[in-house]
Order: sequence, then structure tokens, then C-alpha cells
Amino acid sequence: MASASVIDVGRPVARPRSLFSRLRGGLQGTEYAWAIAFCIPYVGVFIAFVIFPVFYGLWLGHSPSLYIELFHDPIYQQTIVNTILYLAIGVNVKMFFALLLSGFFMRKGWWVKGLLMVYVLPWAVPALPTFISIHWMLNTQWGLVNNVLWDMFGIDGPGWLDTSRWLALGSVITTYIWKNMPFWTVILLAGRMAIPQELYEAAEVDGATGIRRFIHVSFPLLANLYLVCTLLSTIFTLGDFNTANFISGGGPALSTHVLATLGIRDAFEIARPQLGVAAVLSSLPLMIPLVVILMHKLRTSDVQL
Amino acid sequence: MTQITRRTVLRNSLAVAAVGSLARPFIANAAAKTATVWWTQGFVPEEDAAFKKVVEDYQKQSGNIIDYSLIPFAPLMQKIVSAITSSDVPDLISHDINDAVLVPQNAWDDKIVDATDVIEAQKDKLHPTILLGTQYYNNVSKKRGTYLIPFKTACVPLHIWSSLVEKAGFKVADAPKTWDAFWDFFKPMQPKLRETIRNVYAMGLQCTTTGPADGNNMFNQFLIANGGNSIITKDGKPHLDDPTVKEAVIKSLSYISKAYKDGYIPSGALSWNDADDNNAFHSKLFIADFDGTISTEVAIKDQAERDDVTTMGLTNGNDGKPMPAQLGIGGAFIPKGAKNIDVAKDFMKFLIQPTVINDYLKNGLGRWIPPYPDVVKNDSWWFADPHRKPYTTEALVDPTVPGYPVFNPGWAEVNAQQVWGAAEASIIRDGTEPKAAAEAAFKKIEAILAKYPIVQS
Repeated sequence: MASASVIDVGRPVARPRSLFSRLRGGLQGTEYAWAIAFCIPYVGVFIAFVIFPVFYGLWLGHSPSLYIELFHDPIYQQTIVNTILYLAIGVNVKMFFALLLSGFFMRKGWWVKGLLMVYVLPWAVPALPTFISIHWMLNTQWGLVNNVLWDMFGIDGPGWLDTSRWLALGSVITTYIWKNMPFWTVILLAGRMAIPQELYEAAEVDGATGIRRFIHVSFPLLANLYLVCTLLSTIFTLGDFNTANFISGGGPALSTHVLATLGIRDAFEIARPQLGVAAVLSSLPLMIPLVVILMHKLRTSDVQL
Repeated sequence: MTQITRRTVLRNSLAVAAVGSLARPFIANAAAKTATVWWTQGFVPEEDAAFKKVVEDYQKQSGNIIDYSLIPFAPLMQKIVSAITSSDVPDLISHDINDAVLVPQNAWDDKIVDATDVIEAQKDKLHPTILLGTQYYNNVSKKRGTYLIPFKTACVPLHIWSSLVEKAGFKVADAPKTWDAFWDFFKPMQPKLRETIRNVYAMGLQCTTTGPADGNNMFNQFLIANGGNSIITKDGKPHLDDPTVKEAVIKSLSYISKAYKDGYIPSGALSWNDADDNNAFHSKLFIADFDGTISTEVAIKDQAERDDVTTMGLTNGNDGKPMPAQLGIGGAFIPKGAKNIDVAKDFMKFLIQPTVINDYLKNGLGRWIPPYPDVVKNDSWWFADPHRKPYTTEALVDPTVPGYPVFNPGWAEVNAQQVWGAAEASIIRDGTEPKAAAEAAFKKIEAILAKYPIVQS
């Protein structure tokens, strides 16, 4: 009633804003022109480098016959299995050990800080030279690994990248974990550091120490961050070309390709860009749900640090 | 200080747009004399220097401008595929595997300008195999045309480390004169050399599934040595049911895969790219190999070490008769959509003049050979070096055949898919019988070639 009485005293009723006015976001005169002018470069770049390539890619790979050809190709079938293994093992092993190591790096002491600096080096150094170095180190005949095995134990090491699909894929996954684990360790370390100390003290009073403290305090508070990191990492890894390309090159006998490297092979080595784009687009049924779940998790606010 | 207002911004933008529009005809006119050219970067700096000199000479003589980019092998391939796909093309493209991969498919798709008029003046001087190797099939016009402008050629010679042969107690001169026996010659050397050298192999046969060229070149020569050269004929028809061809394929797959399984080929050969076998040769990982051009020799700067390499032309086939070598044809093409076709054609007419091309390729250390037999016969330089002599002889004096993709563009995809390398790998890794591996390869080839029906005139 009070509000009605306010209206009754004769205050003018606010007129609803017109559509044009709403579109202008309340900006007046030159403010609006300047806002448009400042937006134009960004919109132009966005259209040229995001919208256009995405739609051009979709157009290139739109023919169903490309997917029929792909699904009948044994190399593609093998590539799908490799990609799933690469994601499932590579991402999860990496994230799990990153979670554990982030706990280790919470310890106090100057030597822990020093060790952390050394530990992040694989992530900090440029990717391609390190991948090429590892590729050389795994060379059967003159690589460092087999030479060390020969010099120290007198045994001929295996052909790491030469004949066995599993050894080569294992080398790719191991290198991927070695290269990327430090980054996610640091992210999870930052998450751990944000947990208030009082929670641990209260848990200790209740008798939660050691592994129980991790299970009942640390992990529930880190779970959302861990899941978001795992989803993000899966999305990054799905498009990872460098590791497989520079470690195994998709060999031996095309048996360790992942979707990103197969797409490049089909597009540029076989000179069939449409087929290459189709190979990459075939990851969308996995990629889109991942992005949707990620967006959903980013909006979740039930457990926040 | 001048104040910037919306009005001044709009006024200045209009002014810039107006000036741009008015200036455009003059810019276009200036560009009419400029051709954009993409060229493969050489293996050695001398090749690039030689190209730059040709460009300078042409520009001086014609007044035109050649706006060139020298791009390494693999990135250039990606650039070309992207350009043709998006129809944003340069005026002239030269890639070392134009003849085997890029031109067959794009000529079929009618995406290349016919260059019959460019080679017309030099046509009679061209080696017959090279002339044949420029005639690709166009699926729109339903006839063949000159889509590759040839300016250099190459074959695949044998390369042998003489010192390793001698260290094992043999002589290169004693190498047998038939194909399989030639390769068998190196096998007993391996155990002898391993008494003092840990990792050394008899041969560097590229049984690889990684491209683009070496694995196919090697297999094709085995095929020819075993009598299977008619696997595809000039009319573009495959002859996969021909018993001679079948037997030749099975024999070739058997020899290569057995040599690998017996440990005479480095295990990494399954994934070698075209540079890996060169690197392995330079590190003396094996005694002998069969690799295109004399790039391995040219890259060795130390004279004594270079002299240690014996370069040889082909042996006879397994039937004891001389066998032809497959010629690689280095050439350029003008993609449809090029803006300055006239300048591109004019530049190529200049380049393929016998004296110009001879100087260009000699300045590039002779890694590639002129496409004109008379030019090399009249220039002793091509025979004055122990590496160039057998190489040039194999390419321009001895019998030759063109690469199979010129007969049917589907063969370019057969090569790109590394069908033979995959068959070898299947025998080596999965224990597939050579006959079954050959049948699987035939099926794959049939499926690919079915996409390229060539109308017989």
C-alpha cells in the first residue's frame, strides 16, 4: 500500500524504454558512436579469425561421404583408439600425480621450493626442441637411452619408436605427462594454498589427520577445481598435435596417430584437406559435451574455495 | 592540440577510403608486371643462390618483377594445398613433388592452367620420358594437357660407403649386376663389420609408411626389377590381375620385408621420412641405399668423405636385362585463379631455355639435371664428377619411364597413402603373408583408382 500511496501523490510514471534505447545500453550521443567504433576492430578480428575459420572448416568437412570413408579406414579406427587411450591415460595419470605432488609441494622448507623450480622446468622449456630431443634419445641405434642400457648393462634396448605400437604410444603418453604435469601441479598447488588453515586445525581437533585429512578436507574442497582442470586438460589434449607428431610421428606404420596428427596427414600429405578437416571434426561429439560440462561446472558454486 | 571528435574520425575514414579507391587502378596496373612465385628451398644454399640469380637475370631482361618465396619442402606442401583449397593462389608454383602428388590431382580437377604454349619452343629438345611425364589428364576437358612445365629431372641412384665395403673385406667393383643379387652382396658384410662397429646394417631400404617419396621410389624399382612395370599403363589402366604383375609385387614385398626381418635394415626404417634415410646414410648406419638425387653426396662438404661414397646407376633387373629407371620430373605449374599468368609463363619460358637452365642447375651443384639430353651431352661438367656421371647417365642416357601418377592421378593418392609401405609393414609387424599383403594392397589401389575413371580417346 505504501508504494501505491507514493504513486498516488502524483509522481510521474516512468515510461518503458524503447527497443532502440535498450540496444544503446543507456549510452547517449557520441558515447554510443565511440562504443561502436571501439567494438568494430574486435568484432572484425573475431569474425575473421574465429567465426570464418570455424564455419569454413565446417563447410570443408560437411560431406557425409568423408565420414563414411574415414570410418572404413583401419588407420582412422586405430587413431580413435589411440586418441581415447591418450586422453584417458595421459590426462588422468597426469592429473592424479599432479594432485598428489601438489600436496608434497605444500611442505615447508627451502629445498622444497628449490625442487619445485626444477620440477616446473619441463613445462617452462619450449616444447618442440624437447620433443625432438626425446625423439632422438629414443632412437634405437644411437639414442641416449639405448646407449646407456648398452654401456651400463650390456643389453640392446628395444626399438622404442620402431616396431611396437604400444611402446611408441607409451613413449608419446609418457612424454605428454612429463611435459604437462608441472603446470597442473602448480594450479592445484594454488588451489591447496587457498584452503583456510583453520579448516585443517578444526579437522585435527576432530581427529582427522594424514590421509583422513586429505579425504575429508582437502579433496572435497579441491574436487571442483580438479574436475574443471581435468575437463580443460582433456579439451587441450584432444587438439594436441605436437607430442604425437614429434615423438613418434604417428609411426610405426601409422599406428600411433591421434586425431590431430591424422587430420594434418590427410590434409597435407595425402593432399585431401576436406578429409583432414573431417578427421578433426569427428572429435566434436566428444568435444562439445566436454565444453558443455565445463561451462556448467564453471557456473557451479556449491563448493568454492 | 586538435580534438578528436566523431565527426573528424568519420571524415578522415571517408577520406582514406576515397584515396584507396582512386589509387586502386594504379596499384593494379603496377602489379600486372609482377608474378608471385613459390619455389622449393634447396637442400644446399647454392641451389637457392642459383635461383636468385636466375630471377635477377630475368628481371633485368624483362622489366617484370618476380616476387618469390623460397619455402622448405614440407611447409610449402601445406601452403600449396591450403592455397588451392581456398582459391587464393600465387602465379607460379614449383615443388619437388609436383609431378607425383600435386599436379596429377589438380590437373584432374581442372585447377591448373594448360602450359602447352610455354614448352612449345623447347618441346623437341625434351627427353621423351619427360615430355610424356608432363601430360596429365583433365577430368573436365576429358583429355590430357601440359600441366607441368618441366625444368629439371632426377632419378634414383645407388649410394654405397666404399670404406665400409672394404673394411668388411669386399670390393664395390665385385657387386653383382642383377638387382636382388646386388642387395644380397651387402648382407655378409654386416656381421663382419659388427665385429668392430656395434650398430651397422647392410642396407637402408626405406620400407616406410611416412612419405612422401623414398619408400615409393624404392618399391617401384623392386617392382620394375621383378618385371612388374606394367602395373599401370600409359592409358591410365591398372593391370593388377596380370599374373606377371602380381608375382612381381609379391616378390618385391617378400624381398624387402625379409631383409628387414632378418635384421639387415635399421628398425627405424619403418617410419623414416625422406630426410631420415639421408641422415642415417651420413651417420654410416648402413652400407648402401637407393635414394633419389645425389643430395646425400652434395651435402657432404669434406672432399675425402664425399669421395668415399660410390654413386652407381641401376643394375640389371632380376632377369639379367637392363631395366628402366623411374624419372622424377621437377617442374612448375600455374594454378587457375593466378592473377598474372602472362608474367608467370614468360618467366618459365626464360627459365627453360637450355643455357639458362643448364647454368641454374650447375650453380645448384648438379643435384638436379637439365631435362634436355643434348645439353648434358654437350657439357662435360655433367660427366666430370664420379657422382654426377652415373647419376646423369641413369637419368638421361639409360632407359627410363615416368612416374605412375602421370598415367592415372589416382596413383598419386596410392603413393601418398604409402600403400606399399603399409603392405611391407603388415608383413613385418603383423606377420601377414606377402601374398595376402599384396592382395590387400591391390584392393586398396582398386578402391582409389575407381575414383578416377579415365575416358579413352
